[in-house]
Amino acid sequence: MKALVYFTVIIGLVPVQSVLLSHLSVWGVRPDLGFVAVCLIGLIAGELDGLLVGLALGWAMSLFSGQDLISSAILKGAVGYIAGLAGQQVVYLSPVVLVMGLLVVSCVVGLVTPLALTLSSQQDLWWAAWTVVLPQACLDAVIGGAIYWLLWSRLNIEQVMSESRM
Amino acid sequence: MRMVNLRVSYNARRIALGLAVILVLGFLLLPGQLQSVFQSIGSPLGWVISWPLQAVAGIHDRIADTWGRYVALQGVEEENQQLKRELDLIKEQNGQLREASAATERLSALLEFKRQALPTSVAAQVIGRDIGNWYKTIILNKGASDGIQSDQGVITPAGVVGRIVKTTASTAVVLLVTDPNNAIAGLIQRTRDEGIVEGTTQGQARLKYIPLLSNARPGDHVVTSGLVGGFPRGIPIGTIIRIDKEEEALFQSAELSPEVDPNRVEDVLVIRSLPLPTEGERLGVPKPKP
Repeated sequence: MKALVYFTVIIGLVPVQSVLLSHLSVWGVRPDLGFVAVCLIGLIAGELDGLLVGLALGWAMSLFSGQDLISSAILKGAVGYIAGLAGQQVVYLSPVVLVMGLLVVSCVVGLVTPLALTLSSQQDLWWAAWTVVLPQACLDAVIGGAIYWLLWSRLNIEQVMSESRM
Repeated sequence: MRMVNLRVSYNARRIALGLAVILVLGFLLLPGQLQSVFQSIGSPLGWVISWPLQAVAGIHDRIADTWGRYVALQGVEEENQQLKRELDLIKEQNGQLREASAATERLSALLEFKRQALPTSVAAQVIGRDIGNWYKTIILNKGASDGIQSDQGVITPAGVVGRIVKTTASTAVVLLVTDPNNAIAGLIQRTRDEGIVEGTTQGQARLKYIPLLSNARPGDHVVTSGLVGGFPRGIPIGTIIRIDKEEEALFQSAELSPEVDPNRVEDVLVIRSLPLPTEGERLGVPKPKP
């Protein structure tokens, strides 16, 4: 059942990200729903689920993007794994703390990505930080926070986290 | 709501984690090989994902179409008056056009020749945009099963759109001409000076490596030079809007306004590569009779 949920997330996220999110872009920057999903899965279901879903989602998303498979899959896998490890250390996680966490992690991943991609000389780190990384991190944090708040307000999230990690 | 719990034993966890670590190490040690393997394995996955992708794109197009028609109705009265005025003007022009049609018939023979000289192409629709923010790409609804391969050129009747960089069985990813990571061999139509067209971070394009002695100026048209694969010679790329000449530089460069607005493109043609002609075929040497 869990595998089916993850498969649906992977299959569903690609069309949403590539077709619908272009309307939600701010200054031409779109949130990365894959990053948000992998963070939440890692946080709620544990580091192994986060890692495997991150690798699979990164692979699937790279098929429909100019980004190469390695950077996409490894970065998302690493994010899922780290989110899982972080989830083990916390007993109570409020949406505000999650938003701050997503903001920081998205910034770090965003700054690592241009180094991994070896982009054009025009796209230096300074350009990347101001035009892509920071706006995307803000959007990721807001969307991730909103989804977590929905889950948090409707479910006993601590119980779900402890059950799914067993 | 309770999440269904799939209990995984400690050993299975360790094995899965070990496999994931081996995979990641493999990616780092053999990037090229593993990337091509996973790209090939990913083709069926891409085919599966292309179904919801095309469904979402179809629904999106219908909603956009309905919305557009509704908005268009708001100004229909004013548009009707304007159309009546234009009709009177068009009636007058019609007589002149009849004369021109005779000339068109003569020219159509020449156009037919041009059409035959162009390589074969595949029509495709744009069904999505790049998933990330690092590249400017579009996703097409045709892929490897339609004969589309990496490095093939993508055009519209207006000009160059970009170049295929990735394919699955039923989709293809096009790196747009406005992406800074793209490079297309270009030619200034008036001066015949060659250069390389790259995208810019501002969503425009730039022709680099123009000789210093070139007298290129704003308004000149840049077309494909046909020197590098993907595009035949003469497809419009853009119009020069500014020339940049730096002190002590070996070359000058020019900022271009692309002929095609990549954000509005909906239907494209993918130029399928033809087998390169042999030296004999190029020079028109007659084939030996059997």
